[in-house]
Amino acid sequence: MAASSLCLIGCLALWILTGAALAEDLVVAKLDRRVDLTSQVARTLVSFKIENSGSDPATKFLFALSKDQFDHLAYISAASVSVKGKSRTQSAPLTVKEVEKKEDPSSDAVYFEISLEKSLEQGQAATIDVQYALTHTLTPFPREIRQSETQLVLYHDSAYVLSPYLVKFQTTFFKLPGSRVESYTKVEPTKLGDKEIKYGPYENVSPLSQAPVTLQFENNRPFAVVETLEQEIEISHWGNVYATENYHLKHTGARLKGGFSRLDYQAKGNGVSAFRYLAAILPPRAHSIYYRDEIGNISTSHVRNEPKRTIVEFEPRYPLFGGWQVKFTLGYSVPLQDFVFLAPDGSRYLNFTFGSPLVDVVVEKITTKVVLPEGSRDPSVEAPLALDEQHQEVKHSYLDTVGRKVVVLTKKNVVAEHNVPFQVKYKFNPLAMLAEPLMLIFGFFCFFLACMAYLHFDFPISKSSAAYQARLQQEEVLDLLQRFQKLMKRRLFEAEKLEAALRDLARTGDVAPCKASKKLVDATLSKEVKAIHEALQATSRSSSVNSKVEALITKEKEKHERLLQKLNLTVDLYERKMSSKEIDSRLAPHEQKYTHLKSEVAELMDSLDD
Amino acid sequence: MAVAISSPVPEGLYPLLTILFLTVGLVLTASFFIYEITTSSLSRSFPREILTGGASSIFLGLGALFLLLSTGVYV
Repeated sequence: MAASSLCLIGCLALWILTGAALAEDLVVAKLDRRVDLTSQVARTLVSFKIENSGSDPATKFLFALSKDQFDHLAYISAASVSVKGKSRTQSAPLTVKEVEKKEDPSSDAVYFEISLEKSLEQGQAATIDVQYALTHTLTPFPREIRQSETQLVLYHDSAYVLSPYLVKFQTTFFKLPGSRVESYTKVEPTKLGDKEIKYGPYENVSPLSQAPVTLQFENNRPFAVVETLEQEIEISHWGNVYATENYHLKHTGARLKGGFSRLDYQAKGNGVSAFRYLAAILPPRAHSIYYRDEIGNISTSHVRNEPKRTIVEFEPRYPLFGGWQVKFTLGYSVPLQDFVFLAPDGSRYLNFTFGSPLVDVVVEKITTKVVLPEGSRDPSVEAPLALDEQHQEVKHSYLDTVGRKVVVLTKKNVVAEHNVPFQVKYKFNPLAMLAEPLMLIFGFFCFFLACMAYLHFDFPISKSSAAYQARLQQEEVLDLLQRFQKLMKRRLFEAEKLEAALRDLARTGDVAPCKASKKLVDATLSKEVKAIHEALQATSRSSSVNSKVEALITKEKEKHERLLQKLNLTVDLYERKMSSKEIDSRLAPHEQKYTHLKSEVAELMDSLDD
Repeated sequence: MAVAISSPVPEGLYPLLTILFLTVGLVLTASFFIYEITTSSLSRSFPREILTGGASSIFLGLGALFLLLSTGVYV
C-alpha cells in the first residue's frame, strides 16, 4: 500500500516535472502555416505568435516535428519577426538546436530548441518564423504510369501543427502546383481553393495532438534528384580555380511503364512529367565550360553571360522519364581573384558556394573535394552548415612531387537552401610556387647533361682498329688547326691595331702610341706559331693541310715584316717632320705591297677552313 | 577587408613571356649544340658548356611553364 502510493506520488511528480519542463509556461496565441508543395521539395513556413503566460521569463522555444518528417528533413532555420501593424520584417536569424527530450516514447516528436532573441517576460508576446524543407515526402501514387498519363503524388501531414504548447488559433494552407486534386482528407473546417487547400482555423488544440491528413494531387514538376555529386575544386595560384562536377541524375517520380514512344513524345507532347531542360547557375566570369559524359562531348547546351552570374542551359542526351537516370560531367573555370583571398593573419582562404549549381534539384549525397596547391599547410574548413563528414586526402596533379592536400566534405540531403558560401583556410608560402618552374628547369638541365655526357665519353668497340685510330688523328689535326686559326686571327688583330695607330699618326702626328703598339706585337706570338707548326708536322700525315699551313705561315711572316718596315718608315718621316705629300709618296710602294700580301693571307686562311 | 589573391605575373603577359623565353632558350640550345659539334673533344671548355646548358635550361624551363599556363593548363 505504502509502496504503491509512494510510486504513484513519484510518477505524479515526474509527470508534473516533465510536464512543466515541456510546457515552460509558453502559449502559442496564433499559428500560421504555409506548405509549398509546388516542387519536389516540400517547403513549410510556420509563423508562431507566442505569449509567456507564466511567471518566469522564457529564453527558449521548442519546435517539434514528427519522426517521419524528421527523417526527411533537409533544412531548418528560424528567425524572429517584428510585427508593426500590417507589416512584418524579419530580423536576426535564431539558432536552432536539435535536443533530446526524455519523455514517453509513444509520442514520436523530435524537438528543436530555438533560442529567443531576448527573454520573454511575463505577459509579453513575440513572433517567430520557422522554415523547413523536407525531401522525398511527395511520393508518386500510382507508382507507375504510362507515357500519356500525368503524375499524381501523395503527401502526408497533420492538420494540427505538432507543438508541445497549447495552440489557441491555427490555420494551415497547402499550396499546390495545379488545380487537380485527386483526394484530400477532410478535417473540418477544410476549404478547397483553386490551387490551395485551407485547413482551419482550429482553436485551442491541446499540446502534441495530431490529425493526419493525406493529399493526392497532380504534380508534373521535374522530380530531378542527383543521387551522387562529386565536386572537385582545384586551386592554382597562377590564376585559375577549376571546378569539375560529376552528376548521377535520376528522375524519382512515377516510373514509366509500357514503353517510350518517341513519336508520341514529340508529336503529341505525351510525357508531361518527363523533363529535359536543366540549368546551372555558375559564378560570373566563368569560362572554359564543358559538358560531357563517358561517350564524349554533349553539344546540347547554351551559355549566357550575365553581369552577376553565368547561366548554362543544357539537356541530357535523352529526356528523363520516371525511373530513368543519366550520368554527366559539368566543368568550368573561374578566375582566382574572385574566390581566393588573403586573411588578415597571413593565411589564405577559398570562398566558394556549397552545393550544386543546378537549379531545382535535390542532391542525395554530395562530396566536395577542395584541392589545395602543393605546399599548402594546415587546411581548415569553416562552413555555416552541418557537414556529415570531413577528411583529408592527397591528389597528384600537374608537376607534383609530394602531391596536393585535398579537403573532402560530405553531406547528405542537400537542397537549394544549402547553397551558402563556405571557407577553406590554409597557409601557403609564396616561394613554394617556384617549385614548378624549378622542376622544369631541372628536367631540361638533365637533358643537357645527358647530351654532354654522350658527346664526351668514348666507348669504342675496339681501341686499336684502324678506323678508330684514323678518327683520333683527325680530331687532333682539327684541334691544332683550330688553335692555329685562333692564333692567326690574333696576329691579324694586332696588325690591324698597328694600322689604326698609323692612321691616327696621319691625322694627329702623335708618335708615341705607334711605338707602344709596335712593342706589343713584337711579343711572343711568333713562338706560339712555331710550336703549333711543329706539333702539326709531328702528328699529321696529310700533306695538303701541312703545305697550306706552311704557306700561310710564310706569307704571314712576310706581311708582318712589311708592316713593320712601313711603320718604322712612317715614324722616321714624322720625326723628321716632313710634309705630308712627301710622306705619302714615300709610303706608297710599301702600302701596295702590304695590301697585296694581306689579301693573299686572307685567301689562304679561307682555304684552310675546308 | 580581404585582399584578393592573384598570380605573381600578370596573366595578360603569359603568351608574350612564353614566346620570349622559348625563343631565347632555343637560341641558347642551338648555340650549345653548335659548340659541341664544331669544336674538337680535346679543346672543349667545360665551364662554357655548363654555362650555356644551364642558361638554356633556365629559359626553356620558364618558357615551358608559361606555355602550359597560357594554353589553359594552370599547373
